Amino acid sequence: MSEGPAPLSRLTAELSQLPGIGRRTAQRLAFHILRSDESDARSLAEAIVEVKEKVGLCEVCFNLAEGPRCRICEDPSREVSLICVVEEPADVIPIERTHEYRGLYHVLGGALSPIDGIDAEDLRIAELRRRVEGGGILEVILATNPTTTGEATASHIADLIREQTQVTRLAAGLPVGADLEHADEVTLGRAMAGRSNV
Amino acid sequence: MFVARVEADRVRSLTGVVFEPDPGLTVIIGPNGAGKTNLVEAIFFGLTSRSFRTSDRRDLIPFGSAYARCRVTVSGTGVDHMFMASASRSEGSRYTMDGAKIEQAEAAGHRPKVTVFSPDRLELIKGPPAGRRAHIDSFVAARWPGRAGLRSAFGRILAQRNALISRIAAGQADRSGLATWDSQFAEAAEALAGSREKAVAELGERWAAAADELGLEGPKSLTYRPGAATTSEEILKGLEEKLENDLRLGRSSWGPHHDEIRVELDGRQLRRFGSQGQQRLGLLALLFAERSALLETGGGAPLMLLDDVMSELDAHRRERLVERLLEGGQAVITAAEGELIPERGAILRVAIADLLEDSREVAG
Repeated sequence: MSEGPAPLSRLTAELSQLPGIGRRTAQRLAFHILRSDESDARSLAEAIVEVKEKVGLCEVCFNLAEGPRCRICEDPSREVSLICVVEEPADVIPIERTHEYRGLYHVLGGALSPIDGIDAEDLRIAELRRRVEGGGILEVILATNPTTTGEATASHIADLIREQTQVTRLAAGLPVGADLEHADEVTLGRAMAGRSNV
Repeated sequence: MFVARVEADRVRSLTGVVFEPDPGLTVIIGPNGAGKTNLVEAIFFGLTSRSFRTSDRRDLIPFGSAYARCRVTVSGTGVDHMFMASASRSEGSRYTMDGAKIEQAEAAGHRPKVTVFSPDRLELIKGPPAGRRAHIDSFVAARWPGRAGLRSAFGRILAQRNALISRIAAGQADRSGLATWDSQFAEAAEALAGSREKAVAELGERWAAAADELGLEGPKSLTYRPGAATTSEEILKGLEEKLENDLRLGRSSWGPHHDEIRVELDGRQLRRFGSQGQQRLGLLALLFAERSALLETGGGAPLMLLDDVMSELDAHRRERLVERLLEGGQAVITAAEGELIPERGAILRVAIADLLEDSREVAG
């Protein structure tokens, strides 16, 4: 199969680097962009450049930010004595959507995983420690994923800061609104182990 | 739950074979090479989309065909479910329930657990301990479904700790990170070892009783030999003591990944010193021990597929085996000659030749 003009092959090659995009899809997208209006293509290119230029990490919590600090850290109505620890910036979004949590965040930038070469120094754990040692933190909520690496990360952090503040972990258990009979046994077992008084 | 109907569309030598087993005991009779084992494999394949003879499903595709396919109808819960498994050279494999794609974990809740005896499975007794660990863990999952994830959870933590150990040994990471993984390791190891211990305790006496009945003579035992301590405090202590050794080896040298489920006859390991016949009986007794444990604890009896099980048993043992199978649950067994099976009214006897004959009529 002929690769076509060089700029088209270049675009195809760039697009196929994206997650979930294979060679064929990349080619389809490239042809689509080629056929579209010049203004649309320009707007897409500018959006890509802009996101790299303007979005960085918050200097306090390492969430995504347009300036030195993110919108949450700059919001005076947030509860500054609460920190919720998550693995990735994407994890902040679902928690924010609940409108239940009014504290601050701390984004680790991943989870401990020796297989992938990720040790404690590669995560923003020292920064979290400094925030806690700075005082005024009443509770740290560990909201890392309930996976092998997320659990290890939570237990690592808990051991480091347990002396200075209260540390809690998100509960694991049944999805709300679902029938017990459809719950898998492992989840149900954990929900049973973590049952609470009513 | 029981298998009501099997349609081996194309599986190895079988084409268009329809088979309706009894909810109790069914015997498939026919000479060697007639396709009995293929039919047993087809039932297993249709139910689980796997094979107990090969890890490559494409081996099931008949010569000259593009695919292998089997449908199995499961009855007994009020609603019938039809499972379909297929393998194709060009399109990979498919596994569906009632026409919709289904994952193993979900399917397991809608079909009976299957226990297979076949000469290929002797490895379980003869082979290295890893096979017996995996087998006991699958019994744990059947007996206490909430613990089904313990094995893989421990495996993931072990892989992470091993990676860290080898990186520390290579000077790419420092030791401070170990404490976290050691405590995760100890916790998961305790849960896994505790379950194995409990499982083997439930099976030990049942195994000895079943083995006696089947004619495996002499003092015998089925015991759990932990590869490490069984409480998390002791495991943690052991990990610290063995750290230098682990760093030298580049992996974790102690933990439940070194557990053994030891099978002994006359004080000697069956895997090393048992004859082929004794090993066969040892395996059969283990499968019966698991079945009776599941039956007695209300877990539902597994479907037993016993291929060529009668040939090495004497008349009295064959009688006992059949009585056991008639105690409850569904079983399909194969035999070369009908005379090998004791006369009982409740047994459905099927000649493989008749099944093949019918399939030709349907195909024609």
